[in-house]
Amino acid sequence: MMFNGVEIMTPILLAALGGLFAEMAGVLNIALEGLILIGAFTGILVAAATGSLAVGMVAAAVAGGVLAGLLAWVTSRLKANIFIAGLAVNLLAAGMIPFLSTWMFGTKGVLRFPDLPRMPRLLVGVHTGLPLLDDLLFGHSVTVYLAWLTAVIAAVLLYRTPFGLRLRATGARAESAVVSGVNAVRYRSIAIVVSGVAAGLAGSTISLRLGVYLPNISAGRGWIALVAIYLGYRTPLGIVIAALLFGLTDSLAGAAQGFLNIPGTILLGLPYAITVIAMIFYSALRSTKPRRRRRRIDAHF
Amino acid sequence: MSEQPMTAPRRAAGTLVAVSAAILVTVILLAIGSPNPARALTSFFLGPFSNRFFFGNMIDTFGLLILVGLGVCAAFRAGVFNLGGEGQVYIAALTTAVVALSMPTAPAPIGILAATGAAVLVAALLAGLSGLFRWAWGTDELITSFLISAALVPTVNFLIVGPLRNPDSNLMTTVRVAEQFRFLRLLPPSTLNVSVGAAVLLAVLAHGFLFSTLRGYELRMTGLNREFARYGGVAVGAYTVLPMAVSGGFHGLAGAFFVLGTHHAAIEGFTAGLGWNGIAVALIGRNHPLLIIPAALVFAYLEAGSRVAGLQTEFTFELAAIIQAVIFFLITAEIVLPKLRRAHRERSAP
Repeated sequence: MMFNGVEIMTPILLAALGGLFAEMAGVLNIALEGLILIGAFTGILVAAATGSLAVGMVAAAVAGGVLAGLLAWVTSRLKANIFIAGLAVNLLAAGMIPFLSTWMFGTKGVLRFPDLPRMPRLLVGVHTGLPLLDDLLFGHSVTVYLAWLTAVIAAVLLYRTPFGLRLRATGARAESAVVSGVNAVRYRSIAIVVSGVAAGLAGSTISLRLGVYLPNISAGRGWIALVAIYLGYRTPLGIVIAALLFGLTDSLAGAAQGFLNIPGTILLGLPYAITVIAMIFYSALRSTKPRRRRRRIDAHF
Repeated sequence: MSEQPMTAPRRAAGTLVAVSAAILVTVILLAIGSPNPARALTSFFLGPFSNRFFFGNMIDTFGLLILVGLGVCAAFRAGVFNLGGEGQVYIAALTTAVVALSMPTAPAPIGILAATGAAVLVAALLAGLSGLFRWAWGTDELITSFLISAALVPTVNFLIVGPLRNPDSNLMTTVRVAEQFRFLRLLPPSTLNVSVGAAVLLAVLAHGFLFSTLRGYELRMTGLNREFARYGGVAVGAYTVLPMAVSGGFHGLAGAFFVLGTHHAAIEGFTAGLGWNGIAVALIGRNHPLLIIPAALVFAYLEAGSRVAGLQTEFTFELAAIIQAVIFFLITAEIVLPKLRRAHRERSAP
């Protein structure tokens, strides 16, 4: 269960770490779901065409980055509303993937790629004597370790570099950042692109591990990742823990399905239900502290 | 989103660009994707007017789009987001079917009122819950409304496909509601029914409420500047919870009309897209109840066109989602057409 949980947490972790950059820069990126979907589709297509998982993952990251770049462009240059434009990305993924899939493969259903190389595993057969710790640390897909490495890189970038300081300044108080000579718009755009790259990568880890592309393969992970950012108190380490908790719950739910006799259809809603309950509890516990800054919504947009 | 509200011509230009871009993208996709581009394009543009069936269905959709558009507008105007429309319409539709099926011999007014009332109530509670969390603990209503709705959709699917399924039908559908509850059809064999009149009437009433009553004024003020409204003595907390509930209520009404007027039963996934369409319509209509009427008409036409094009060519895909995506990308953008830009500069010159 622990082993599966760690595998399941990987795309959530990657997407949430990327989303953290956007969040830190003051942007709630609700497009993560669509960006993951695009990454999953692009990743497996390119990997199948080139025979290389690595190339597929790079392509997925580029696709996510480009689409997020488009989002950054319409919001910064054309001053579009970030939530509406973010929804556009999600809908674009939901609409374009079936179109491309039908165009290229004649079906908008399941795409199988039997010749795809298998995702390599690392540290297989290493033991410490503690089964739970072994399942947590050893024998996982390469992508699991990649995600952990990303968490370390994110922490260093955000807290130990001038870039991170300026990014956080943009999110904390854009006006002050601008006065100090920081180009807030550029930092916000960079943060959105970073979140797109990470979400694209996250998507490719889902499809490449399975070796198939399923319609709506992201299954709400983009939204879960958003909530994981809050639950992780907007820190990389916290996000690792939050993502692990989501991974464990998910793998627990999969196991529970067998002996609790819950219809599988209902369980499709479970990740969303757990996420929203976690989010409500979190905000209820935090509500004694000063409220999060209010998003400005212009009723005249 | 600008610091200053956009001027009317710039907003109109933005809307025009967004809708034109959506049509352009549709044309390109139909042209490259369809085995018979000419036929696909003809069906897209002229299909909705080719016969009573397609035309009536388009006008039926128009009525439903007004309702969901008003629902989205109610929240937007107060500065809150309801992203759960998809699920709210669907759950309300199921509620309507269940209530109507539970009283098959009731007289028409009682049955219709009970079914519609229950649907509105359920959807209003669902959306209102997000508003309540927002008010009590500051939980982002944008995310919770989406998640609550997404969590419940699979359960509705399960109920329609499982316990409530009509065993005599090949479709994944419930039993049809009793004859006396079905709304009068206006243009058979299409699904157009009298509910479209109610939708237009509600848009006019909403306009009156928003612009001619104190409560409407307070709601708009809260949406424009929450702190200022609070300073001015407006109970802004109420304008967090209530607009969300009203937003859900409109979505619930759309779900009820979808069952009693359009389909006479709840079918698996039959409301899919209606919630997102509501956002598109509200944005095209610039959150203005009266402008939502033409906006709904434009969107109903695009939707009908893509449906006819899908039916008459073998190539089917989620054209509706792509249309929504293009509109969402551009509708809130400040697009200044070259000519307008010049006019704008001249006007702002001293």
